[in-house]
Amino acid sequence: MASRSSAIVRVTLGELMRVLPSARFGLAPGPVRRAAWARALRRSFERLGPAFVKLGQLISVRPDEFSAELVAEMQGMQDAVPAVPAAAIRAVITREFGAEPEVLFATFENEPLAAASIAQVHRATLAEEYRPVWGETLPAGAEVAVKVVRPGAAASILSDVEVVRRMALRFAGTRVTRRFDPVALVDEFAATVDRELDLRQEGRFADRFSFDFRDDPKVQVPRIVWTRSTSQVLTMEFITGWRLSDLEIARAAGVDCKGLAIHGATAFMRQVFVYGRYHADLHPANIFVTPQNTIAYLDFGIVGYLTPEERMNITQVMAALVYRDPDRALRYSEKLGVHVPPGHVEPVRAGLGRLLDGDVRPDGTRDFAHFGLGFLKLLGEHGVAIPSGYGLLIKSLATVEGVARALYPEIDIVSTAQPFTTRILGQAMGDPVRVRERMPAAVRAALRVLTE
Amino acid sequence: MTDDVMRFFATWLFTHEAADEEIKAAIRRGMAEGPEGMAGGPDAFVDGLAAMVEEEKEQLKRDLEARARGEEVAIEQQSDPALDEVRFEVAELRGRLDNIEALLEAMLRKLGE
Ligand SMILES: Nc1ncnc2c1ncn2[C@@H]1O[C@H](COP(=O)(O)OP(=O)(O)OP(=O)(O)O)[C@@H](O)[C@H]1O
Repeated sequence: MASRSSAIVRVTLGELMRVLPSARFGLAPGPVRRAAWARALRRSFERLGPAFVKLGQLISVRPDEFSAELVAEMQGMQDAVPAVPAAAIRAVITREFGAEPEVLFATFENEPLAAASIAQVHRATLAEEYRPVWGETLPAGAEVAVKVVRPGAAASILSDVEVVRRMALRFAGTRVTRRFDPVALVDEFAATVDRELDLRQEGRFADRFSFDFRDDPKVQVPRIVWTRSTSQVLTMEFITGWRLSDLEIARAAGVDCKGLAIHGATAFMRQVFVYGRYHADLHPANIFVTPQNTIAYLDFGIVGYLTPEERMNITQVMAALVYRDPDRALRYSEKLGVHVPPGHVEPVRAGLGRLLDGDVRPDGTRDFAHFGLGFLKLLGEHGVAIPSGYGLLIKSLATVEGVARALYPEIDIVSTAQPFTTRILGQAMGDPVRVRERMPAAVRAALRVLTE
Repeated sequence: MTDDVMRFFATWLFTHEAADEEIKAAIRRGMAEGPEGMAGGPDAFVDGLAAMVEEEKEQLKRDLEARARGEEVAIEQQSDPALDEVRFEVAELRGRLDNIEALLEAMLRKLGE
């Protein structure tokens, strides 16, 4: 373990040395210097393997705690790693099921479809039909994607988490970590990694999303084949489509990108406001558009949860955004756990007001990412701790905006939220207790007659 | 839930065809502004809501007429979310059983080796 921590230090120092000239040996202006350091860190994380790649992904969703340069750099982190030889993947499957892939499936392709930090994906076809938790039966011969945890990934990741935890403890309280609590970050990191190492968790989330979107034919989620899944292997319906990064090809094939952008953003709002469960790991590689003009969500590694009360408060914050009302935004953020210390309320409100006024693009649509990320940064500057759920939601909304804009540049993400916020506020007004409070006496009398 | 509430208001509005002038004015304003107008502040929101209730009332009238003609009425065909939820939980349980069965089969295969 000691040798692993020295390896980590060696790799990181090595990458830092490489960027020294572009940081002009520490003499370059702040942003240039920070960008150079960020690049070095990103490169070392990529070299240090899966645990660090995940850590980088976590940093990329915490603009409240890390510099803009570091967040931007980590967002661009490459998750593409060399593929594990087919024999090793086949060995995992054989160990898990006590049978060779050819016994379990009608066909199994040794050439991987994709290799990511934790798992590798292979194509196969079903030997027999399977009735999934939700949706239509998958016939025998149906194409599936078999996602397999890379052998040794769990052990190496868990031991890296330990090393990182020890380093975090050492750094805690030093000047480097003034702005955040490294131990809390590592704990969050360990929890994320734990979840991703058991693929059944992801499968259950996928089923739940299929159900939530049961009446929306435009949203597709791969059906899970539970008879061919374990904690290390997840078999699911194969989705044919294009990644958002291959949009030009999709467009050429006649996919309605504008329609899908609006629908996709609306679907996300529905997850947030109606179900209180949302896909929090959206990035262009996890979303497909299909030739049938549907949006397919892949990879449910990170899911955010909201209680009905949180949903109501978030609705109010969104309404504040629509009405450009900083007081309201702060009041309801407070209920979501954002506590601004008394001495800072004024400057935070002023800063928020400026953000609300400045979130319009030249084409007149609102820029949520600018507002949301700016708000997190503002809170950070005033020493306000941000509840991780709050940060995750804002980051996810900003990502949805980015993704939707890739499909359709003129989209206004805030207005896609409006029907939901209006409806939820209307629903709250429809709450019998609130109605009684609000309606004039005569109407109340009429209501009483009707309800008795 | 919202549908029920709207239905309730619509029923109320329907049984009060002589709705007072204030509500009628709110409905007119709400109709004129359209759904976007609801973002104009609390009063505009209430106007918008009034207009939505008015629309629901018209739908209710049509439903009542349809039922009188012996036709099916849309709102009564909607599936019950609570029932759907139970259906999903049962399906999820079936998924888990499938998964456990697969684990057992794997163990048996390994024992047989
Ligand atoms: N059901 C599927 N149908 C088609 N392709 C799939 C399917 N599942 C996964 N893939 C392909 O495999 C790639 C990796 O899958 P996935 O994102 O689930 O892996 P991961 O290890 O969780 O990746 P990440 O590190 O990004 O979280 C996807 O980008 C996609 O190209």
